[in-house]
Amino acid sequence: MSSQDHAALAGPTHRLSRGWWLLAAVVVIALLPFVFQDSYWRTNLIVCALNVMLAIGLNFILGFAGQLNLGHSAFYGIGAYVSTLLIIKLGLPFWAAFVVGIAAAGVAGMALSIFAVRLRGHYLAIASLGFAVIVHQVLVNWISMTQGPLGLYGIRPPPDIALPGLPVISFGNSANMFYLVAGFALLFYLLLDQLARSPIGETLTAIREDEVSASSLGIDCTAWKVFAFGVGSAVAGAAGAFYASFVGTLVPDAFIITESFTILAMVIVGGMGSLSGPVWGAILLTVLPEVLRGFGDLRFILYGAALTLVVLFMPGGMVQAAQTLRARIGRSTPATGSGR
Amino acid sequence: MSSVLLQQTINGIVFGSLYVLVALGLTLIYGVLVQINFAHADVVTIGAFAAYFFTFTLGGNYLASIAVALVVGAALGWLVNATIFAPLRERGSELLPLIATIGVSILLQNAMLLWFGPIPYPFDSPYSNEVIRLGGGTFITWQNLIIIIVSTLTIALLYAFMKFTFMGKALRAVAQDRETAGLMGINPSQLIMVTFVIASALAGMGGAMLGPILVLTPFAGTSVIVKAFAIVIIGGFGNVEGTIIAGLLVGLIESYATQLVNPGLIDIIVFTLLLLMLAFRPTGLIAEKREENV
Repeated sequence: MSSQDHAALAGPTHRLSRGWWLLAAVVVIALLPFVFQDSYWRTNLIVCALNVMLAIGLNFILGFAGQLNLGHSAFYGIGAYVSTLLIIKLGLPFWAAFVVGIAAAGVAGMALSIFAVRLRGHYLAIASLGFAVIVHQVLVNWISMTQGPLGLYGIRPPPDIALPGLPVISFGNSANMFYLVAGFALLFYLLLDQLARSPIGETLTAIREDEVSASSLGIDCTAWKVFAFGVGSAVAGAAGAFYASFVGTLVPDAFIITESFTILAMVIVGGMGSLSGPVWGAILLTVLPEVLRGFGDLRFILYGAALTLVVLFMPGGMVQAAQTLRARIGRSTPATGSGR
Repeated sequence: MSSVLLQQTINGIVFGSLYVLVALGLTLIYGVLVQINFAHADVVTIGAFAAYFFTFTLGGNYLASIAVALVVGAALGWLVNATIFAPLRERGSELLPLIATIGVSILLQNAMLLWFGPIPYPFDSPYSNEVIRLGGGTFITWQNLIIIIVSTLTIALLYAFMKFTFMGKALRAVAQDRETAGLMGINPSQLIMVTFVIASALAGMGGAMLGPILVLTPFAGTSVIVKAFAIVIIGGFGNVEGTIIAGLLVGLIESYATQLVNPGLIDIIVFTLLLLMLAFRPTGLIAEKREENV
């Protein structure tokens, strides 16, 4: 990734302080299930939260460490299948299986990264694509374990939580399930935010911009790239575990390479390399096709067009567009002053 | 048993030569531009559809439809270069064009889905049922013979072009050393355009011949292109000879795996080979001086 691509993203993205943004996010998450009462939109809310998780995980690998990972669907699938199989075959409790699922996806990400450690750019893109094809084919062909294309059925939602003095919280209820997934999405966002703002974030950015210079400064580029891959794919694993328990069925085709491209589109359209961009990208590309549902198969045409046009005309994505817009408004009314 | 193996060898060479046609385009583009074109898959698919409609809707000759697909592919290649790669070239990014062509690919596949629908088209080449017996129980269909002859001729022509014409020499010069080639007065924009047109023409005609083999849906090209990527890497990015050997190798592996193990394992075998190559010999089967991206 060249430095010009990212230079546009370097400006301040938040005018409000982070505390206010966090409060606003919590309030919005709390209110959404009340605004959307029917099961169709509740489902979309949960899918949206899952997509946010996938997008911020991929963004950590692609936007911060600069590693083009086209195999994100594989880590999503590993998280989903590992956690579900542990519950079904070994009778593990959900939360234990959830943790193992995350770990398995993270380890798979690190393994691919170690394997592909000498590779950059295009070679890594193809290697990760190949990895996703292998994982999908294993899910299809290992029938004794995964039931192959027939899929796994009757996966239960996470167990109820009974706190003393409060009504039992059941995740069969879509509002509660949304709170759970969105809560975790927010938690992961804050963790990645913390990482990105720490010296680790600067180290990753240095590697992304110029690996040779970074290593001449004594940075162990290999270790940090493996680290970024591990973190990003672990987050995808968490999304996978939630996906299985929410949908209730698992088929390998939920994790084909097209899914990787969809997540990639969310990251790019939102604004790769900024923290909030992929969140907006995930929300836009989940909600917009549902709004346009009357137009039939336009959903993926929209993904393709958005991805192409954004790369051609607005490589910083929605975040860059918002900045440009804000700068224009600021210029036309100088009296308000900028929040810099 | 040996006749079965011989039969699978013939089939493998047929598959392999088609993979070579598709993969050569990717490798040529990589050679001059150091870029990956994901929309190459859809050039294959559109080539197959062009041949299908020419043969069955317009009632044309199947052999002529290969030429039609070639022209359609060439036009698409010109378009993809003019709209995506040329505008992004000044920005000098390694990954943005790749991401943009993923977008183009999603767009084209789903536009085709809208027009052609998800149901596979029955692309029966009139030559698929005519069989030449080779003795010992082995045989080859006319269709497969056409595939082998057309591919071999095309690859030979491409070779002659690269060896003997100025454009071809310029192409190899740029692939070897971009800056020095620029100093020698080679116009890169024109050269890149010609490369895209040739590469996509190969993919288009490959599609016309793959049509009767594949399940012809808007997503047909994707299954070919992921293998073509594997072939390009196994052969060494930008290396024409390596790509030809690797393409035939993958075709043979696919054919033997179908017979001896389980067709479901083909992709796993091919991509495990790809990952092993990347780990232990990232320059490809035939080592070259190109080390910059490894």
